This record gives sequence, C-alpha cells and structure tokens, in this order.
Amino acid sequence: MTALSEPQFASRLIVQLIVNIVVLAAIYALIACGYVLIYRVSRVLNLAHGELMMLGAYLLLATASAFSGNALAAIAAAIVLSLVVGVLVYLLLMRKMAGEMVLAAVLATVALGILLRGLMTFIFTAQQQYPGQALGLANPALALPGGARISTFAALIVAATVLVYGALFVFLRFGRWGVRMRAAGQNPLLAAQRGINLHAVYALAWALSTLTGSLACMLIALDSGLTSSMAVIGLKAFPAALVGGLDSLVGALVGAVIVGTAEVLSIAYLDPLLSDVVPFLVLIAALTVRPWGLFGTREELDRV
Amino acid sequence: MRLPIIVAAALAAALATPALAGDSYVVGITAALTGPPAATYAPSVEALRIYLNRLNAAGGINGKKVTLLIEDDSAQPSKAAANVKKLLTEDNPILMLNASLSSTYAPVIAETRRAGVPLIFASSACPKDVYPPAKPDEFCTTAFAAGYDSRAALAFVKETAKTPVKIAFAAMAIPLSRAEMDFAEKLAPSLGMTPVDKEVIPPPTADYTPFATKIKQAGANWVFSWAPWVTEVRTFEALQRLGWSGDYVTWGHIEAENELKRIKNPKLYALGADAMFEDRLPIQKEIAAAAKAAGSKYPADEMTEGWIVGMVVEAALRGAGPTATPAKVQASMQHLRVDLKGLRGGPIEWTKTNHFRLEQYYRVYHWSAGRIALVKNWFPYDVK
Repeated sequence: MTALSEPQFASRLIVQLIVNIVVLAAIYALIACGYVLIYRVSRVLNLAHGELMMLGAYLLLATASAFSGNALAAIAAAIVLSLVVGVLVYLLLMRKMAGEMVLAAVLATVALGILLRGLMTFIFTAQQQYPGQALGLANPALALPGGARISTFAALIVAATVLVYGALFVFLRFGRWGVRMRAAGQNPLLAAQRGINLHAVYALAWALSTLTGSLACMLIALDSGLTSSMAVIGLKAFPAALVGGLDSLVGALVGAVIVGTAEVLSIAYLDPLLSDVVPFLVLIAALTVRPWGLFGTREELDRV
Repeated sequence: MRLPIIVAAALAAALATPALAGDSYVVGITAALTGPPAATYAPSVEALRIYLNRLNAAGGINGKKVTLLIEDDSAQPSKAAANVKKLLTEDNPILMLNASLSSTYAPVIAETRRAGVPLIFASSACPKDVYPPAKPDEFCTTAFAAGYDSRAALAFVKETAKTPVKIAFAAMAIPLSRAEMDFAEKLAPSLGMTPVDKEVIPPPTADYTPFATKIKQAGANWVFSWAPWVTEVRTFEALQRLGWSGDYVTWGHIEAENELKRIKNPKLYALGADAMFEDRLPIQKEIAAAAKAAGSKYPADEMTEGWIVGMVVEAALRGAGPTATPAKVQASMQHLRVDLKGLRGGPIEWTKTNHFRLEQYYRVYHWSAGRIALVKNWFPYDVK
C-alpha cells in the first residue's frame, strides 16, 4: 500500500467527514419529516415516532422470514405494513383524541411508545437482529471520489431521503390530498366546512409519517443491525425537526444538516462524548434565537 | 415496564400446589430487559429463570421453592433504584441481583445496603468492590472483570502483534466501560504499545462511522473495545466499511459466538472468560436441552452467564439453610465454591475478602477456516 502524503491524507479525511455528515443528516432528515408531517397537519407532537419507526424495522424482519429469498417482496410488504400501522394508530387511538387538549394527544403518544417498546421486546426479544442477513443482502462499502467510503445501505439512506423529500414536496404542493393536508393544517374548521374529510387527512398524515420513519429505521437496520434501543435514535432526530421548525419540511431538512454537522464535527474535533449532547445544545441555541425554529411559523407555535 | 415473573408460578400451575412467596426463598432482580444493552442481559435473566424453574421442578432447595421476582430497569439508574426499593419494601427478598448497566450500580447498592440484603452482580460487569478486600455485601458471578480484562487483552495483543502496536480504544459512554478503557489506555505504554485514540460512544448512535473515521485517521493498527456488545461490534463493522485492515479485540459477551459466525472475519478476536458452545461440553448440552424444553426465545449459547448465576444462587441458598435470612445468605456466600463444569476455566470461589474468584481465566476465540477457533487457551490471573 502506498503511503499518503499529508495533504492527501487531510483531503481524504475532509471528504470522509463530509460523507459522514451527509449520511447522518440524511438519517435525521428522514426521521424528522415524520414529526413534521403529523405536527403540521394536526398540531400533535408524536412522541411515539421512534417506536413506530422501530416497529417498521421489526416488520421488515418479520416479512424477511415470510418472504425468504425475495428481498424486494419483503421490503415492499414491510413498507405497506408500516403504512397500515400508521393508519391503525390514528383510527384506534389518535382519532379518540380529536377535540381533546393537544397535551392529551401528546401524552397518548407517550403511552403508545411505551406500549410498543414493551411489545416489540416481548415479541422479537432484545437480541440484535440482522434483517440484511435474513434477506440475504450484502452491504459492501462503496469507494467514492476523494478516497472516502460509504456502505451501500448508507448510500441508500441518502438516496431515500432525497426521494422522500422530493416526493413530499410534489405531493403537498400539487397532489389533491397534499393540498387537503395543507388546508387541514392551516385551518381545520374551514377545511372541514369545505368538505375535506379531516379524519382521512389525519390518517394519511400518520400513515406517511410512520412510513418515512420506518423507511429510515429499515435502512439503518439493513446497514448495521436492529436492536430494541433504536427508538432512541428517533428522539435524537427530534432536535433536527425543532431547530428547523416543527411545521416545515424544508426546516426539517436544514435542521438535520445543522444537527448532523455539529454532531460529526464534535466527534472529529472536540470530544466524541459531546456527540450525544451537541444536538440539544444546537437546539437550545436555535430556540433561544428563534423559538419557532428556523423555518417554522411563529403564530402556529404559539398555539402549542 | 414491570415484568414480574414468578418462577414458582409455572411449577405451581403444573403441580397444583402453589408455592407462595411466604414459603419460598424470595430472590429479586433488577435487569436491563429493555434499553440499549438489553441484548446482553435479557438472555442471562431468561437462563436464570429456566435454571430456577428446573430447580423448583426437582423439589427446590432445602425443601423450599425459589421465587424469582424480575423487574425491568431499561438500564436506567432511576428505574433500577425504584425497582429495588419496591422489591425490598414489598417482597422482602433475602438476596438481590443486578443484571444491568454499571450506571445503575450506585442506587442499587445504596438501597440493598440500607436494607441489609446481599447483592450479586449477575451478568453485569463486576465492580472493583468485589475484589479483595471485598465489600461484605457485594458479590459477582459475571465473566467481566474490570482491570483484569484489560490486562489479559493487552497481553494477548502484545503476544500476537507482529509489528509495533498503535492501539485505539472504544468504550460506551457508561461509567465502567469508560473507566476500563481509561485504565487500558494508561496500561498500554508499559507494554510497549502506543495509544493513539479513545472513542467514548453514546449508547443510542445512528451511525458509528464518524467514530470509526477518527480511529482510522489516528493510524491505529489494533483496537481494543470493552463495552456492551452493540458498541464493540458496530464500531468494528464501521471500521471494516472504511477499509480499515487492523486487528480488533473485543470482550466476548454472550452474543460473541453467534456474531463471530455472522461476521466471519479472522481479525476480530473475542476475549472472554466463558467457554463457547463450540466446545460441546456436557453442561452446554444440558443448557441447550433446558432452553429448548422451556421454549426459550434466546439461543442456548447466550445462556452461560445466566446459568452460572443459577448455579451460584442455588449454592448460596443451600448453604443458608431452610430458615435463610439475608444475613445467613451473605454468610453462606462468604464461603462458597461452585464447580462450573467447564463453563469457565475455574470455579467461582468466594471467601470473606474475595467476592469475585480466586483465579480469573481467559480464552481468545476468532473465526478461522470456516469455524470458530481457539486462538489462545485458558490463561489465568491470580485475583489479589
């Protein structure tokens, strides 16, 4: 192996750091958009988002054994099931919260999260699981220009984030149901009077939120394995949503980049231990300056 | 979440002769059945439950059943403290067990000491309090041994390395793991190694690559990690994805055997004190049969730690007699010897001043030629 000169070594490191930032930001962005979708439409802060996304990854594990040998079918089935889970959560739990205080709905999501965590450990055990292995999918590292490397599934996380955000922007701006979702979020009373089925819109928001979170967790699990603690990663993505503004998808994206950058740079240049607290330091700093987030709407946050 | 599992209840249902806590030995345990490190602890608790169920089915100890009360603490100190307080005040256990992260130790020790109930660290890392001169009420059955493990790992690295060693360390952001990696970092230069990096990684981490990048950038050709398995293995795999080609020594947790088979990389070494099931010992076959009969969700080769706890609890309660009290159990444990039938290199042997073991034995395994192979057979350290 040829030894690298110092500038080459430094340039490789910088490229690798950029790749690390992009991957972490993509993970946080994909998770954070789930918080935004529900909050934007119903003003409910879903504190079970981490558990719901983890459930998506466990569903992939279940479909992997059901569709052994057919990875695409297993992934497609898990995606459909995660959509169904989102709808069911709304129909069976959150619908009952309609008309109640927002705090009651938020507390219901806390209870849901605890319940799901317990159930998943009970059903799938606390062991580390490897859906990629169950599906027979390898995860080779890809060499990038500049000497950086990225695993296949980490690259897919980045690609999925770009696709999901692109699709959501198009859907919310031009799609019939997307416009309905925006209308319900801006003024539910007026939207209902205009004939928009609010329950259908809310159910759709829960379904899409669960889908995007699940997709993130499925890809993380395919990349590095699945444990019963992955719900906590959902909580780590929460500052990204808050920094950007809880009712803004652009904000979630920007917030994820800020938080991901701060985290990766703190590991590289400060102390790796700080990586756990840096997202929350960024959050405090951002909220001190703009309590409604970088791209959030001031009046909407006042109603929380 | 509370998961009360009364071992005697299963037997009671079968025999229709309910064993109530009043006429049984009550043992309490707070364990990380959920949370980041649950994969390391939950199978051990399951093994203990199966062991005691079998014991009860065979007539119990001194004619009494054993009631095991299990509380989940999710590896959170506040929950562990609440669990122990609840068990001690409501259920009057004569022995308490801890199978959770080191961050739960301080509140658990405070509560058990106040109540005068002895405490065994059972599948959770042994604290220095159990080494000579041991605290009278703290005991440990677990394979991990802070201080000794680093000595053994670095001795192995020194013996194996063919080039000058630049070593990095990977810890989880929990007290014991950090302290052990600090200790190893200080020890390395005395063995002629150059410490080049130490990563302390928070338990819920979405991507381990940033930590691995730093280790690789530091120029490490060896890494030693003593942390819950999730941190050890994910750091290794992140390093592999970055194209790092050094050697990696991990503490061989209960997951190690299956993980060596999954990863199939000869440069990943698992240093441990438990024999892997590749040995096919008679007692391992017994554990496998018991796990199968109990319909366990966990593989038998992850049950060694919990099985050893069961053997020790049985011996301790037997020694305490039918009218056991916490004081009698503690006295019994201060003169205890349990033959582990090959599950480890030597017995669990406790004295008045040593509540760990008189000798700690290590083995090193890795993947080689399509199977798990021994790299280094049992080598002992005197515990002084």
